[in-house]
Amino acid sequence: MSDTRPKNLVGKGREALETLLAPGSFSEGAVGTQTLDPALGPGAVVGTASLQGRTVTVIANDAKVRNPRFPVVLAGVIGLEEAYKMALAVYLTIEADRDAPLAEKRPILLVVDSPGNAPGKVEEVFGMHLATGAYQLALAEARQAGHPVVAMIIGRAISGAFLCHGLQADRILALSAAHGTMIHVMPLGSIARITKMDIERLEELSKTNPVFASGAGYFYKLGGVEEVIDDPADMPAVIAKHIAEIYKLNAEDRADELGPWGRGTLGAERGGRTKRGQVLDLMASQVAALEKELLS
Amino acid sequence: MTSWTEMQNRSFYEATARQRAKYLLDEGTFHELVGPEAGLSSPHLPVLGEAVSFDDGVVTGVGKIGRRPVFVISQEGRFIGGSVGEVGGAKMVGVFQSALALYEKAAAKYPGDESRLPAILISFETGGVRLHEANAGLLAHAEVMEQIQICRGKIPVLSLVGSKLGCFGGMGFVSGATDLTIMSELGRVGLTGPEVIEEVLGKREFDASNRALIYRTTGGKHRHIMGSANYLAADTIHAFRAQVQRILALPYAEITAHRSIGSPALVEEQLGLTALAAEIKPKDAAEVWAYYGNANCETIPDLSTDEFLQHVKTRKGGSAS
Amino acid sequence: MLHELTFTFPGGTRTLPPAWSHTGVVGSGDLEILLRQADLGGGMEFHVVTPVRGFDEVWEKILGRFAAEANLGDVRIQINDNNATPFVVSLRLKQALSEAMEGGNAS
Repeated sequence: MSDTRPKNLVGKGREALETLLAPGSFSEGAVGTQTLDPALGPGAVVGTASLQGRTVTVIANDAKVRNPRFPVVLAGVIGLEEAYKMALAVYLTIEADRDAPLAEKRPILLVVDSPGNAPGKVEEVFGMHLATGAYQLALAEARQAGHPVVAMIIGRAISGAFLCHGLQADRILALSAAHGTMIHVMPLGSIARITKMDIERLEELSKTNPVFASGAGYFYKLGGVEEVIDDPADMPAVIAKHIAEIYKLNAEDRADELGPWGRGTLGAERGGRTKRGQVLDLMASQVAALEKELLS
Repeated sequence: MTSWTEMQNRSFYEATARQRAKYLLDEGTFHELVGPEAGLSSPHLPVLGEAVSFDDGVVTGVGKIGRRPVFVISQEGRFIGGSVGEVGGAKMVGVFQSALALYEKAAAKYPGDESRLPAILISFETGGVRLHEANAGLLAHAEVMEQIQICRGKIPVLSLVGSKLGCFGGMGFVSGATDLTIMSELGRVGLTGPEVIEEVLGKREFDASNRALIYRTTGGKHRHIMGSANYLAADTIHAFRAQVQRILALPYAEITAHRSIGSPALVEEQLGLTALAAEIKPKDAAEVWAYYGNANCETIPDLSTDEFLQHVKTRKGGSAS
Repeated sequence: MLHELTFTFPGGTRTLPPAWSHTGVVGSGDLEILLRQADLGGGMEFHVVTPVRGFDEVWEKILGRFAAEANLGDVRIQINDNNATPFVVSLRLKQALSEAMEGGNAS
């Protein structure tokens, strides 16, 4: 089986869904009781499917289509329509399971392959920042409600697109760099140009400091990616494993080990972000010392 | 030393992050948190030969406005463009965590008295992630977004944008995700900076050196017409502070009712705007101003804040101030 | 790497009124100064962090002159510099001293 699967899934969001989901199980556009307008935000693929026997909401990118109404939305870019569509898929998921017990809140799977948020003038006029923000708030709310949210990076997870579609997940998984995955704010060359640093020096430094270099391995060290997957065929089982762990942690009231905050702790454990914890501890003790005055 | 009263009339646009943080709060109440004396500067800049700052470009503090404990996050644009790195990002996250901890104590001590509950002000001046420590900065942005969601239903979070560099990149959506935004006409909020848009669309479509165009696209007056800048304040520390005081006197439910995003209904509302964008395909923001019923749009940029507020027609109908 | 410099001078007769005081912003061509009480046997110590190399003697001259004028003892002065000119360094040091002697801005 595995030899028929594409080794490189960059730009192939829909193919990735075939690899990830039970054959024929993906019902595109349908989330909960509603079906979204198929013309809306074609760069975002949303729907309901079965993954390892579980019903999940799927939110993915389609890099092969253009949005006919917004010319800068192509190649997997997340535009206004796409971001709001993704947000709606999350809210419909929350609504569908509103009365379900914690153990039955359906998971949300983010299949990540986007180079960025739409960098256009119309987008700025109407507020691209609101669109990407709306999706993030929806995901954060879904996690609060107990829906396990797992991000699977199959291609590009870049800067604002990664923040919007990925970094609010409980757990973030990435195919290893051998599969062409890209995780960064900017390629090292661009960072070198903008910061006027020497590229060779940056490359040398990134061997010991993971904070500016591009790639899943560096994000792993910072706690920004929980697990790197080498064989694409393993993705469904690994995703299912993480979903099970998220259910367990939520049931044990240990949600603080998940999501952006949990990854902060993980970053310290992996030796990647060590000053973060010092700052948080110091501030907490300073505010505690001021408590009497502040509550007088 | 300049007195607190004198500082109130200073330009918000020109004020340093520390001045904004201190003088937005009641006189003599400001305590800086993880201040310069803590010496927690960036661990990543020295190896790159880049200057460091004791506060890492983010001033955090707490004080009072009336009876409320009020936390402030204030970004310093003069230090590496107000960019957010590991330490500055952690300071932002720490403020939310501290406010949440204090909220529980305040709610227990003063049951039913909203005027005693903490609030958070964020005075933005930033282009988002600090490239010198890009990965850590990115992760910090995600943490801040999560904290904003955790604060909902408890703590009002207000955005203030009126500083030189505006509020762009990931911090653009952080500001959009708060309960409410106050801007001056000199403030700018967006996601993608002008240079990148020029690179993508070409100079004919978007000239990044055209200051008037940039203000029409992302400036305070435009955002006020569109409804995402809920209030427009004059360019003084006092004007921002007075607006904050008026808002913090409201019940929480009324404060959070100003939100632009954060619910299915608000997403539907924004989708309506997106449909409008597709329909009228504006070549310039001024076409949208005209759509909402404004006449003589070419004169809008030159109006004083007061004149503008008297005459403007906004998406939400009339002036919101 | 950032360049780190330390200079010590004999202290004066005055002491710093607050435990610490901070002045300035590390903008381009500017610097910040943190003055702190420290048990230095009456002396004065400067710690400078700067991206610029090759101006050690200039720093020593400016700081030495300031130390003599300030007439302070048992004080550690930390400076984060970002390419400030000698004129700006002297100006900011004077501001920092004046703010510190008025009680400082530590909160």
